[in-house]
Amino acid sequence: MSILDLMTTKKPDLKLRSKVFGKIGEHSPYDCFQCIRCTSGCPSMKMLELKPHEVVSLARLGFVDDVVDSGVLWACAMCLKCKERCPQEVAPVDLIMALRNLAVEMEATVPESFLKSVSMILETGFVQKPQRTVTRRMEKVDRDRLGLPRFREASDRFKSVFMKALGTF
Amino acid sequence: MIALRVAVYWGCVIPTIQYAYEMSVREVFPRLSIELVDLEDFSCCGLPVRSVNAYASVYLAARNLAIAEKTGLEDLLVPCNGCHLSLSEAKQYLSGDEELRRKVNSLLGEEGLELKGSMRIWHTIDFLHDLIGEERIRESVRRRLERLRFAPHYGCHILRPSGWGRVDDSESPTKLDDLLGWLGAEGVDYPEKLDCCGNLLLLSHPDAAFSFAGLKLKALKESGVDGVVDCCPSCHMMFDMRQGSLGATVGATLDVPVLYYTQLLGLAMGIDVESLGLHLNRSPADELLKKIS
Repeated sequence: MSILDLMTTKKPDLKLRSKVFGKIGEHSPYDCFQCIRCTSGCPSMKMLELKPHEVVSLARLGFVDDVVDSGVLWACAMCLKCKERCPQEVAPVDLIMALRNLAVEMEATVPESFLKSVSMILETGFVQKPQRTVTRRMEKVDRDRLGLPRFREASDRFKSVFMKALGTF
Repeated sequence: MIALRVAVYWGCVIPTIQYAYEMSVREVFPRLSIELVDLEDFSCCGLPVRSVNAYASVYLAARNLAIAEKTGLEDLLVPCNGCHLSLSEAKQYLSGDEELRRKVNSLLGEEGLELKGSMRIWHTIDFLHDLIGEERIRESVRRRLERLRFAPHYGCHILRPSGWGRVDDSESPTKLDDLLGWLGAEGVDYPEKLDCCGNLLLLSHPDAAFSFAGLKLKALKESGVDGVVDCCPSCHMMFDMRQGSLGATVGATLDVPVLYYTQLLGLAMGIDVESLGLHLNRSPADELLKKIS
């Protein structure tokens, strides 16, 4: 996962930039003064070299597709420390989420599991069906054995409205 | 004491795999004169959809809020941290954005639903701490958990971002520590207290996710606590269910008992181990149970 050198001579894509910035409400990346408080507290910086301030900077300069294609977006654990600690209320995590949405829309490389969760919700209303599990003594149990009330999948009506919701916005 | 009726939204993770949390909440709350009202036809809270389509994620959150409002009750309990964030944020987005509200309500209308945004949203921790309070928690204890030291793990999504109806202070939370103290136990402070469990990285970088949780548990093991106490099904899955993988990733033998706060409260109330789902914890809870009985 490497991303573009900020001093590149590449031409920025300003249209794509306004599209992304339209999705993040009041948290304007233009207010960022690169203090790097976000990156210094980012747990994914330690493990995966995610640098939220760099994502903000690249997007602000208009190099949106470079970030979208780089794979760094999927290193965010959504711990929200960057949003909490930014002195300028920039919310790098919100920008990262908006860029992930754009990656899906542009059919860039997206980890398959994210799309699987959505199709599971379309199918059942939930990210997974109730699972059988085991106790510490390796005894198999399910909701019924544990005396928990019956679990119902979401109605067909819901599934069709959710499908529409995915397409509406 | 007047019984309070409260709607409960379980989300995905609790009712499909984290049965111990559901069992312990269902055991403990009625003993505090709280009647839990289950929702009909609820669905995912929307958080898992946020990376794919943020607006569809807001729709999902709004749908569950609208379903909860149909109960006519004032209070909604959301025991999962991620669901609590998703529902609280949607409530705030929709109250401030008329166009979004109109769009979402038109979708909700197809199922005869409408969002008013009138309910108070609670998590297990602030519900027990702020609404039930010290006196009633202390009164419910039959067996004080003296001389036990626990590391409280709050989880990210009930703490951040502050100002969005979060449960406790974002940089210096104390409510779970207080709740432990009211049972006679001690909640210890530790440098990694605010650190993330890594669960949401499982989908893209599982090894990094295991490092997040593994390094935190390793540090806690070295500090010599009797166990870790948490309150989020996703964090619990990392710390309780996967200690083998976490240990293999960070090069440590991890054997730290991990319990939900509601399980510990239930033990202090004198409720039996199986009713609280304590046979489901994969971490070595037996060590801790011996110290308590």
